[in-house]
Amino acid sequence: MKLSKHVALTSVALAGALALTACGSDDNSTGSSGSDETGTSVSGTLNGEGSSAQKNAIEEVISTFGDNNPDATVNYNPTGSGDGVKNFIAKQVDFAGSDSALKTEAVDGVVEADAAAERCGGNPAWNLPLVAGPIAIAYNLPGVEGLTLTPEVASEIFLGEIKTWNDPKIAAINEGVTLPSTKISVFFRSDESGTTENFQKYLSGSAPKAWTAEPSKVWPGKVGEGRAKSDGVAQGVKSVEGGITYAEWSYATSNDLGVAKIDNGAGAVELTGESAGAALTAAEVAGEGNDLKLKLDYATQTAGTYPIVLVTYEIVCSKGLDADKTTLLKSFLKHFASADTQSGLQEAGYAPLPAEIQTKVNTAIDAIS
Amino acid sequence: MSALTQDTLSPAPASPIDKPSAGRAIKDKLATVAVWTAFGIAIIPLVWILYTVVDRGANLLFDPHWWTNSQRGIVARVAGGGAYHAIIGTLLQAAVTAIIAVPIAVFTAIYLVEYGRGKLARTVSFMVDILTGIPSIVAALFIYAVWVTTFGLERVGFAVCLALVLLMIPVVVRSTEEMLKLVPNELREASYALGVPKWKTIFKIVLPTSFSGIVTGVLLGLARIMGETAPLLILGPYSKSINTDLFGGFMAALPTMINQDRVESYDPALNRVWAAALTLIVLVMVLNIAGRVIARRSKVSR
Repeated sequence: MKLSKHVALTSVALAGALALTACGSDDNSTGSSGSDETGTSVSGTLNGEGSSAQKNAIEEVISTFGDNNPDATVNYNPTGSGDGVKNFIAKQVDFAGSDSALKTEAVDGVVEADAAAERCGGNPAWNLPLVAGPIAIAYNLPGVEGLTLTPEVASEIFLGEIKTWNDPKIAAINEGVTLPSTKISVFFRSDESGTTENFQKYLSGSAPKAWTAEPSKVWPGKVGEGRAKSDGVAQGVKSVEGGITYAEWSYATSNDLGVAKIDNGAGAVELTGESAGAALTAAEVAGEGNDLKLKLDYATQTAGTYPIVLVTYEIVCSKGLDADKTTLLKSFLKHFASADTQSGLQEAGYAPLPAEIQTKVNTAIDAIS
Repeated sequence: MSALTQDTLSPAPASPIDKPSAGRAIKDKLATVAVWTAFGIAIIPLVWILYTVVDRGANLLFDPHWWTNSQRGIVARVAGGGAYHAIIGTLLQAAVTAIIAVPIAVFTAIYLVEYGRGKLARTVSFMVDILTGIPSIVAALFIYAVWVTTFGLERVGFAVCLALVLLMIPVVVRSTEEMLKLVPNELREASYALGVPKWKTIFKIVLPTSFSGIVTGVLLGLARIMGETAPLLILGPYSKSINTDLFGGFMAALPTMINQDRVESYDPALNRVWAAALTLIVLVMVLNIAGRVIARRSKVSR
């Protein structure tokens, strides 16, 4: 008798679970979006993994792509650029998102670009720049708006050589701004981060005398306080008056922090989608053919160009994925690179790709087979 | 004998037990205070956590969409969507883990209690002890080494289940062992005396008697593995869409749903993180309560 009671209980639980399985829904659309207007919709599943710097950008893209292609699923796990590339090479994911292009020189006996080519059945893997994320120098100084920094002064602040906000060096480039005597509290990323590397690339590229450390994912500075992830440093600055840090633009704006204008020598440039996009226009393509690895000119003196920009790539096989995946991948990347999608990314704190780069990326996507 | 009976019959003299000395009374009070203080300290973090999670996560749980929709197409800065994909993932993985782990664990326990003697039993028991002490990340990496590195397979929900099996087996073995030991030997002997063979005794007498205890142990084991995060981080990549296929594609689970937006700066995403945490707590709590109810409903009758 006892046993049958339990059997009944178990079957009720099982039936409940089955009912639950049946009633879930993937449809979160608000009803406004219809089917794809630009072509037939695709189906299947595409998996990506990598850079957390592009997480919010690619999620926006996946969201709009999913609206147009209800049968297609794109997953992206923001586990970090290193893990993304490793799992791409290990055939665990179909594409990788990375803050830096595949390395062509050997690290620990492995050449990333070669390993990726092996994964793609002997075809080279391409770095396609699809997300441009400006890095903001974010500060917390109530009453001070429109602070301007030069690469030299920024280097000295982050190295701890300038200790207070009313230091004459800061005052000299901020005429007409009343600076308080608050102590400067530097916050940096305690975890390994592409943001850290790109920010250092900017400092060493534009102020090589002031910033002598070799850019890497680890913060080399001796002063300040380390915090994990972009949110950690942004929160840190928010909680301490006089705090300063570097973080993706969206973290600075969502935490209501001040964003410094950058003066590379051609006047102070405010951070906008446009001014950050201009930095990409000035970048030269370092890769061959359709491999669109970009080399940014950090020391650019072009007016209206915000120079601290982080480019994240989607790393894809030029050939070698099975046919269904290739169709889906191309369709997704096309959507990613389209002008509409790119300009929509500004809402999430990213800079749209300039038209010139969009064209190049589109050519590369067409060449994937 | 007679002296003893006389002693118990005669009026008891004022014994020290009736009126404890002042020193003992103080010690008693001190011990009481110490125990209650320790209890209070232990309860603070529990209440604090529960309060915080309920405070920040409860409002989303009242939205029916939370229980029926996935996060597909929902970005961090937008509110909406639900946790259905993660709930179903967690439940499916837990169910499959239980289907694999429970028979192995119960049979191991039966062996240890009913059959095991000598060196082999001691070794098995020792191994179960070692398994108990294995950190979940080690179990996950072991399965990764087998599943991905050696066999070259993709990371799927079933691989997560395998890692969870490693974590669940020792818990269920130990609890089942205790339950089987509680079955009075007289029952077994009575059965033998009637000429019932040993295997039949175990299945008809021992197991039914300890059934509720075993079920409780299984449910507690399930509750423990449902919150495990390390195997999911390594073997179960997150997906925002519903996936009920354990052998293909990324599969969401509540811990990975929490992890995905953990460092997000947008409020809607953070609210969902808290709500997912509360959902996980509620699921585990429901399992725990179910375990207790089953245990109370049918206690081993003596």
